[in-house]
Amino acid sequence: MNIYLEGVLAAMGINILLALSARAILATDRLSLGNAGFMAIGAYVSAYLTVSLGWDLYPAIAVGGSAAAAIGLLVGLPVLRLQGIYFVMGTLAFGEVVRTFFQNFEPTGGAYGMRGMFGTTLTMIYVFVAAFLVLFLALGRSRLGYVADALHDDDEAARSIGINVDLLRLLAFAWGGLIAGIAGALFAHYALYIESGNFNFLVSANAVLFVILGGVQTVWGAILGAVIFSLLPEGLRFLADWRLSAYGVILVGLMILRPEGILTRAMLRRLAGFFVRKP
Amino acid sequence: MTALLEFSQVSKAFGGVLAVDELSFTLDRGELVGLIGPNGAGKTTVFNLASGVQRLSRGEVLFRGVKISATSPTRIARSGIARTFQNIRLFRSLTVLEHVLVAQSCRSASLLTQMLPFASATDRTLRRQALAVLEVFGLADRRDELAVHLPYGGQRRLEIARAIATAPELLLLDEPAAGLNDSETAELSGILETLRAQGYTILLVEHDMNLVMRLCSRILVLNFGRLIASGTPAEVRGSQEVIDAYLGVAD
Amino acid sequence: MFEQQVINGITLGSTYALVAIGYTLVLGVLNKLNLAHGELFMVGAFTGIAVARLGAPLPVSLVAAFAVSGLVAVAIERSCFYPLRNASFLSPMLSTIAFGILLQNLVSQFFGSDPSRFPDTGSSFQLTLGTLTVSAIHIVILATAFGLMIGIDLLIRKTRWGIAVRATSDDAETAAQQGMHPSRVTMTTFFVSGALAGVAGMLTTLVYSQVTPHIGIRQGLIGMVAMVIGGLGNLRGAMIGGLAIGLVETMNDAYFSAGYRDLVIFAIFFAFLIVKPEGLFPAHHSR
Ligand SMILES: Nc1ncnc2c1ncn2[C@@H]1O[C@H](COP(=O)(O)OP(=O)(O)O)[C@@H](O)[C@H]1O
Ligand SMILES: [Mg+2]
Repeated sequence: MNIYLEGVLAAMGINILLALSARAILATDRLSLGNAGFMAIGAYVSAYLTVSLGWDLYPAIAVGGSAAAAIGLLVGLPVLRLQGIYFVMGTLAFGEVVRTFFQNFEPTGGAYGMRGMFGTTLTMIYVFVAAFLVLFLALGRSRLGYVADALHDDDEAARSIGINVDLLRLLAFAWGGLIAGIAGALFAHYALYIESGNFNFLVSANAVLFVILGGVQTVWGAILGAVIFSLLPEGLRFLADWRLSAYGVILVGLMILRPEGILTRAMLRRLAGFFVRKP
Repeated sequence: MTALLEFSQVSKAFGGVLAVDELSFTLDRGELVGLIGPNGAGKTTVFNLASGVQRLSRGEVLFRGVKISATSPTRIARSGIARTFQNIRLFRSLTVLEHVLVAQSCRSASLLTQMLPFASATDRTLRRQALAVLEVFGLADRRDELAVHLPYGGQRRLEIARAIATAPELLLLDEPAAGLNDSETAELSGILETLRAQGYTILLVEHDMNLVMRLCSRILVLNFGRLIASGTPAEVRGSQEVIDAYLGVAD
Repeated sequence: MFEQQVINGITLGSTYALVAIGYTLVLGVLNKLNLAHGELFMVGAFTGIAVARLGAPLPVSLVAAFAVSGLVAVAIERSCFYPLRNASFLSPMLSTIAFGILLQNLVSQFFGSDPSRFPDTGSSFQLTLGTLTVSAIHIVILATAFGLMIGIDLLIRKTRWGIAVRATSDDAETAAQQGMHPSRVTMTTFFVSGALAGVAGMLTTLVYSQVTPHIGIRQGLIGMVAMVIGGLGNLRGAMIGGLAIGLVETMNDAYFSAGYRDLVIFAIFFAFLIVKPEGLFPAHHSR
């Protein structure tokens, strides 16, 4: 496969994982602009393990992802007490704290970044994508799927029927952290070089944009969003240096024209009548 | 024997407003009690305090003799108090049947069993039970529609069905007949009688006096957060204070 | 020299304050975040540079930055907020991120991604007070920023427009019922908010002679931090928050380590949100 195409597909796979991570949290009616922080934790922890401690890649990915999930639990406890704009800002602050922490943290290269990681293949990225997709679909069809819908739709009514809203939000936050952490670990061992700037606020924002524009109602929307908006800047290459402008205009326009995203549940139901239960 | 629900000297302040003021009352098992009073009297606040949505300022709420005034809404719901909302609060993305299913599962199911695929054996049993509940509420034939597509009366009934599905002992109904037409109200009245016969304890907030007077064995009257009268429908109807405060202005 | 650091901190902080004021004004009126707010700072900086390169004197650059950033802010309102006024607060917020990407790219087209600088102002004037030196540039910044802060404070407290803005912040529906034109209030608020950020950007280029099209992200975040410290929706709180961060930043650089600057600021941000989300000076109207 040619190198250019492979690079685009790898970035797309990582973006799909990031979109799934954003969606995990959005499904509980909370929007996180800090998932790049989780990604950074997964990237740096796994990179430290493989480069400095000589670990194999797979256990390093597992530990990197788990570290991000654990931080998710820890940070989620206080941050999830915040609502609305405050929650958004709290997660944003978290992401920036993580980024600036790694900017200064010498054992993982500080401002110079880190190199020496390798081993992520395209296949590996898409195995993770497929695995998480299957998990999302299975959870969506489980009882937990309704529970998540219920608490997303009406927090107070959900509590009134005994749903443990706070616990589920915390777990969803950590689950999002796990996925972003794994995305980060894969990214680090694909990109060969990482620096704290790779995990800035725009990465978190993009992850959420993928989900919202693709369609927040179904997991397929997140995937569609990540695919389209990973390919779009490439498709706009004929615009040369103007392509990010075009990208911005298209995003703003789409938000106005399809605020509910490209793919909706109703559409999916129509497309696939055989779906007993929406994913 | 201890009362099922007891409010003891309960007050709730919002800034300067005392929405509930030194309120004391008890509910015994199996009773259907009305809670009436003019708009803004504090009825919904009583429900919010009993279901843990709001924290009281002073006093205690006991359920089965156990203090619940510092317990989370989730825990209270699981311990057997279910409620409906004055302004209907159904789940936008769930179907009628799913409302009942989701309410059933939360009572006991652990997180792990909730993650099991939807088609498991226990689910088939629950599904059968859920359909039975919908049957009682006249919603079975619309089970696969989105709840928000139900007509108004159907939505009110589904709110009660969802509450019942949590297998509560105490049911708090906030104006279930509000906005219903006559035939829908009659249907609701039948449902309430069935529930009473099945042994649920019910606290009913309602402005429809015919309904309240006919169904309730006892009525509590609130005004400005204070209990101004309580007794049988006949006693309450005869109380001058109640007539002044409330019955005079209601329709 | 401690006093010198204080002067520097206040100078820097006054530009942060201008950004924070705009942030908090918009948030007050709409209860929504404009995540492209930092880009208005960037647009102001580059507008100032462009005009100065044409040979215009400093005041002209300032006015140009004020006007252009104000107008761009109105464009943001019209494309990201107004069409999405009935959507959840998340939608316009995400739209503004996309708008920010657009602005960064547009400016890069004209100025390149490499740092640009403000043409030499040619002033070597310095005020010396004992051990303190205050350059002409510092005086221009302090005078402009504090002048604008006092001006906006008066506007908000004393004028009909200010009353409309405050009324809309307290309760948009009631304000509209009382005949205040919500759309006009919103647009003017955006204009002012952008104009102030633009002036801040232009002033900053005078000291930190180099700017890139990507400075807006950090400036927006700093403005947000200042706003949170001061209490969301509180104008004077935002000013104090901005000054406080300016001081923290210069003190950190002088006595700790410049590398940790942003870590310190964002750690403070995070700590505030967790421990005291209402900020130091909670706005009177609780929402
Ligand atoms: N969340 C709240 N914040 C402030 N005041 C409230 C709140 N909820 C209720 N109130 C006030 O408490 C009083 C009682 O309200 P409520 O319990 O809703 O009355 P009811 O249900 O009897 O009509 C009213 O004056 C109302 O304005
Ligand atoms: Mg009420």
